[in-house]
Amino acid sequence: MTSPFDVREFLAGFLAEAEEHLRSSAQNLMALDRSFAQGQSNARAVRDLFRSLHTVKGLSAMVGAEPIVDLAHAMETVLRSADRAPGTLRREALEPMLQALRAIEERVSALAEGKTLAPAPAAILDALGALQPQDGQGGARPDAAVSLPPEVLAKLSAAEKQQLVEGVAAGKRALRADFVPTPERAAAGLTISSVRERVSNVAEIVKVLPLSRPRSEEAPGGLAFVLVLLTGGSDEAIAEAAGIPKEEVLPVAVQSAPQPAPAFGEEDEIPAEAVQRRTIRVEVGRLDDALERLSALVVTRFRLSRALAALGARGADTREVAEIMAENGRQLRDLRAAIMRARMVPVSELLERLPLVVRGITRTSGKKARVEIDGGGGAGDGQTPEGRSIGGAGFAGVASRAGQEGRSIGEELDKSVADRIFPALVHLVRNAVDHAIEPPDERARLGKPEEAVIRVSCLERSNRQLELTVSDDGRGVDATRLARKAGREVPATDAALLDLLTIRGLSSRDEATTTSGRGMGMDIVKRIVDQLGGELLLKTQRGSGSTFTLRVPLSITIVDAFSFACGKQPFVVPVATIEEIVEVDPGRLVRAPGGREVRLLQRRGETVPLLALESVLHMERGTEPRRKALIVRRNAEPYGFEVDRMLGQQEVVVRPLEDPLVHVPGVTGSTDLGDGLPTLVLDLLSLTGSLGESRPS
Amino acid sequence: MATAELLLVDDSKVMREMIAACLRPEQGLAFSHAGSGLEAIERLSLKKFDLVILDLNMPDIGGIEVVEFIRAQDRLRELPILIVTTRGDDTSRSRALGAGASRFMTKPFAPEALLGEVRALLRRDTRAVS
Repeated sequence: MTSPFDVREFLAGFLAEAEEHLRSSAQNLMALDRSFAQGQSNARAVRDLFRSLHTVKGLSAMVGAEPIVDLAHAMETVLRSADRAPGTLRREALEPMLQALRAIEERVSALAEGKTLAPAPAAILDALGALQPQDGQGGARPDAAVSLPPEVLAKLSAAEKQQLVEGVAAGKRALRADFVPTPERAAAGLTISSVRERVSNVAEIVKVLPLSRPRSEEAPGGLAFVLVLLTGGSDEAIAEAAGIPKEEVLPVAVQSAPQPAPAFGEEDEIPAEAVQRRTIRVEVGRLDDALERLSALVVTRFRLSRALAALGARGADTREVAEIMAENGRQLRDLRAAIMRARMVPVSELLERLPLVVRGITRTSGKKARVEIDGGGGAGDGQTPEGRSIGGAGFAGVASRAGQEGRSIGEELDKSVADRIFPALVHLVRNAVDHAIEPPDERARLGKPEEAVIRVSCLERSNRQLELTVSDDGRGVDATRLARKAGREVPATDAALLDLLTIRGLSSRDEATTTSGRGMGMDIVKRIVDQLGGELLLKTQRGSGSTFTLRVPLSITIVDAFSFACGKQPFVVPVATIEEIVEVDPGRLVRAPGGREVRLLQRRGETVPLLALESVLHMERGTEPRRKALIVRRNAEPYGFEVDRMLGQQEVVVRPLEDPLVHVPGVTGSTDLGDGLPTLVLDLLSLTGSLGESRPS
Repeated sequence: MATAELLLVDDSKVMREMIAACLRPEQGLAFSHAGSGLEAIERLSLKKFDLVILDLNMPDIGGIEVVEFIRAQDRLRELPILIVTTRGDDTSRSRALGAGASRFMTKPFAPEALLGEVRALLRRDTRAVS
């Protein structure tokens, strides 16, 4: 069926919500996997998964994404039965659910790119359909005895009672806190939503439900909310979070059923939702918009300071205004920094998707590998790119959990960098499994553990760069073989080896593999890093492994830009600043009155002053006979900049030359057009200043 | 025509926006949003609304519990409740209507259908006239 809407209006919102649900679903599936590994159930993960997929299904139905609806529905069916009968989900269910989640992710990406969605893979739907909830085990577990009033107790599901039992068995206390909404509290920002969010930071919320109360002065809405909680913290903390007296936090006795239920794993100490609740979803486009408006503000400020300088030149006392201007400049810088901060996403979001990637590959390749993720903190010291550094400090933890445990990765990077660098990380991790890691029998022969470790770590460097490393304990890069294949000399250093490795289309593997395909994609990794203005490094040792290091800036600016040549050099300008590109016909040019070095272009009844860009930039003139002009408009007046020829249009990553507010007039930054050389990004509007006084009236 | 106060309850913000978009053609509607059943109940306890559009599947308490709660309040007994849900099965439908929901629609819905339901529930149905 097709969507009843103009989908485009809601696409950005849909993608933002869907991505968030998919991310938390992946986390919950991994949490379930760990619980299963310890022979435990995880009622909350099941319920959260169910709810996320249900929402994804509903949203996808609204935008007409039927294949996603089918997949989400099939997963939801499995999870619904599991939620109703806690402990009945089988471990075999995980694999098809992971596959289904990946299939949904692919289709959400396709939707984002405006592509047609592939139908839901029948094999996955069949596999999910074949999963029947298992009887026995925990299904017929007797109800726990919970000391709550009957009207509250009646609203607790079996899974929620199970959650209480599991929590108490893990050493937490069960509590009840009542919150009564009033208009005064609402005016002070205390609503059930804010209270719920605050409480979720100090306790695990099992259930919140409304209870009717007689209308009174204390309860003008005739309503109280009962929060049923599990916590390892104090009553005071909960009372404070809920905005109620400590005496109103009451203990709840939980008598576990005769057979003590398994405890929650350690990773559940901090509920994932507690971390996420204090966030709102914002489309990246809105932040870009804010930045764009800020740029306009900066341009206005330049004009203001020019006008101020002109006033001063005429003898006016401008000291006080100048001081205000300086303050204003600082504020603009702060504002820019604040907006840039809002665009940052935790690196952990990126990294915790990698274990899923590897899981998928190892299944098809027959190799054994796991991903360990390491944040910048504690283990950061040993992070120099060394081939065999794994096994050093911080190795002990099963670090694919890092994102969900206390040792979370605090580093953040710009969303646009994150989106670009993730495919590079996936390439590297895939390559490690495909090319570097030996089959289990060979590893056993070599005295290595059968299961290989791919370690991904992240470290923030002082120069606003992030360093990501992907290390494996595989066979290392075979320089001799690679050189023979490329018909080159055997490289003497790792750096030279990396150069060889990143030659387009060169593969060290002779046949295509299911995961990496033909060619290692190393040239792609290199290109991604280069375009971000970063650095790619390699350290490898035959027989013991390789480490790839990616150094990328924490934030970048991306603009849609025209590239053109002028004075034998390429430049780019943001498309948004250009009104029109016209051919310069020398026959239709007139000289400005008075013989000044300004030529005029007649264009649709308007007279446009025309300036050769190379003379503005004090460069040598190109040899192009027929030239183009870029028309910009400032204060409703058109201006033309003459250039040699247009090169193209593309999205470019703009790297500020230095502080954006103290810059060379007319130059906003530099970019890389793919040739590895820096290209200047021009702001033609600010260059029109030199033309301003010579306009004919 | 007096402005009608609508409460849109869905844990998905974009879904609430879609619903509001469907109702654009109708004049004189004011929208409040609630991102959970709890928030909906809180808002209802503190302010008067003319219509609630309610999702079934939400965190903490689902739509059916919200309906049950609303109908247990004397002053909310007559409040029209329109369920808009992905859960289109007969059990959900009969449970929601049994709990006291006024009407039941499933997602995805046609914008005109939602508009029609809302007009009817607000007694702004123009079919009799045209």
